Amino acid sequence: MNIAETHAAQVFLAHHDFVKGVALKYAPWPGLMEDITQQVFLEFMAKESKWDLSSDARPLLATMTRHIAMRLWRERTRQQPDVVQKLADHIRLLAEERETPPRYEDEVRVLRTCLQKLPQKSRELVELYYYDDVGTPQIAEQIQMKADTVCRALSRVREKLRECIEQNLNQGGHAHA
Amino acid sequence: MPDADTLIQHYLEGTLTDSEAEELHTLLQNEPQLGSKLLQHFEMDAMLRATKPLAVPGKVIQPALVPRRRFTFATVTTVAAMAACLALAGTWLVLSLPRPATEDTTASVAVLTRGVNLEWESAAIAPGTPLSPGLLKLKSGIAQIEFYQGARVLIEGPAELQLISSGEATCTRGKLSANVPPQAKGFRINTPKGTIVDLGTEFGLDVSDASAEVHVFKGEVELHQAAESMKSLKEGQAMAFAAKAQPLAANASSFASLNEINARTALSDRSQFERWQAQSALLKNDPALKLHFDFQDDESARSLSNRAAQGEDGSIVGASWTTGRWQEKRALDFRNVSDRVRLSAPTEAKALTMAMWVRINGLDRYFNSLFMSEGWNDRKIHWQIVRDGKIRFGIAGAAGHGHQDCDTELFFTPERFGRWMHLAVVFDPQAKEVRHYANGTLLAKIRLKDPSPLKPGIAELGNWNDRRTTNVAIRHLSGTMDEFALWDRVLSEAEIEAMSR
Repeated sequence: MNIAETHAAQVFLAHHDFVKGVALKYAPWPGLMEDITQQVFLEFMAKESKWDLSSDARPLLATMTRHIAMRLWRERTRQQPDVVQKLADHIRLLAEERETPPRYEDEVRVLRTCLQKLPQKSRELVELYYYDDVGTPQIAEQIQMKADTVCRALSRVREKLRECIEQNLNQGGHAHA
Repeated sequence: MPDADTLIQHYLEGTLTDSEAEELHTLLQNEPQLGSKLLQHFEMDAMLRATKPLAVPGKVIQPALVPRRRFTFATVTTVAAMAACLALAGTWLVLSLPRPATEDTTASVAVLTRGVNLEWESAAIAPGTPLSPGLLKLKSGIAQIEFYQGARVLIEGPAELQLISSGEATCTRGKLSANVPPQAKGFRINTPKGTIVDLGTEFGLDVSDASAEVHVFKGEVELHQAAESMKSLKEGQAMAFAAKAQPLAANASSFASLNEINARTALSDRSQFERWQAQSALLKNDPALKLHFDFQDDESARSLSNRAAQGEDGSIVGASWTTGRWQEKRALDFRNVSDRVRLSAPTEAKALTMAMWVRINGLDRYFNSLFMSEGWNDRKIHWQIVRDGKIRFGIAGAAGHGHQDCDTELFFTPERFGRWMHLAVVFDPQAKEVRHYANGTLLAKIRLKDPSPLKPGIAELGNWNDRRTTNVAIRHLSGTMDEFALWDRVLSEAEIEAMSR
């Protein structure tokens, strides 16, 4: 990496959560956010000499991310059966129509604190599902419960975390789940 | 039907069935508030995945999970951040550090870029091969060699050229012409009679047992001879290495020129392409041929025609069209994480042979896909190149049996990158072995633990779909492919060797 590339990488790193937020808005498809961010990074670095990095990089990154998100979204969803494609289109429209701007950057920062405040069992569930890549049917088997129960438990954990984030961001108080 | 929470979870997990997708769609249309709930869960799900530590302390990584490691943005940014810190800490510090033990190195000083009708007395070399210091003995044909310092040399067989460094060679026999751009000024060619030092020019050299002559077509060269003062030779002049030799008129027409090699390369390419077309057309007469992509589709095509008598076309995702082995041969370039060709291979094969022409740019991933069945279970197959350079034919275990990795020894070293290679793999249940071939030569024979039929099914060229919608491992190929074929029989060594010519 030369000096210019290093600088470009630093600019990107400073905005990578912003990129993820934009990716989520334009491509609400599971697992796609990481791929989009990765691709934006690669394309941003490939053309680093073209960018004026002395000004705010957000408009540029937002445009790049939107284009790449749409492209990868189309590639990913068109492999799906018709019925899933229709659902995916519906969800994407919902995401685009939302008036609230992406708050991923702020929220993910607070989330880490909220996670520490989760009850032990909820934290274990998050670790198993999100960190150890154990699917809900396998978790259900391990804890001898129905898969639907695990799905609902994960849903409740996410809602608790959402509440904690909202509380923290709105009131500026300590994160509490 | 599951409740809304479960449907949302299945959406996030990528396990929605068609009927569940339909149900969730209906619910979203009828209950607008469910839409914002789903989006909130979706965002939280993405954030939770992003908080995953790179390594969870105290956890034992199961060997089976190791191949699933993902080339994540986190990995990229961590590496980028480390590189940034290192660069900012001071280039001097980086420069003073010893080279990491794992960094690839090369002894090459030049590369054979093109060749026409090449016949070698020394070991055969194909265009694209990097060249290390050593003796090249060309029996016939014209070879174009580009030295890393920038000089370009055409040698005409019969000739002998000893490569010394990226800016020096010795010619003991034959004719050569050299084009030396300003940045390669100082390029030296030694002969038994003396040395030519180039000052940024074009010149020809004709060396025989009796004499050595230099012809300057452009610029200026210096002639150095033992016991003689240095002579300067200018554009349009020629001179023999001899005491009291007088300048003569340069004769450019007696040396191979770039135009000549261009014309002869085009002719040679054309004839090889036509020979390939004729051989390729015969392949479909073999009823065991199940897939044959010759990559000769229209350049706007996004599907890849299967030339086998029966079978479906492939679907191109992301990969872009480029030039293949010859000017008229088309190929697909695989560069990005999304690039792939999706195809339908036989759902079951008692025996199998696969062959492809591929040019590898580098081994960017831990597993670099050549051909991979979707998923990894029940006799699915993964033909790939592992980052350390081994070619692997992996067979997933059926119920109750483990998988088997059939590996070659290290094959893809950096010297082999950027060159067209013919690769083939044979699954031979009768001999109970898997055999790997490269350019028609047997690379490895591996004893099969389980010779029961394979189940390739839906598969991808140059990538892998592991059937999950999240945390999908990235195994895309960095390279170019211009032919792929699959047979449900064992091809003989002679057949494979014939295809590789």
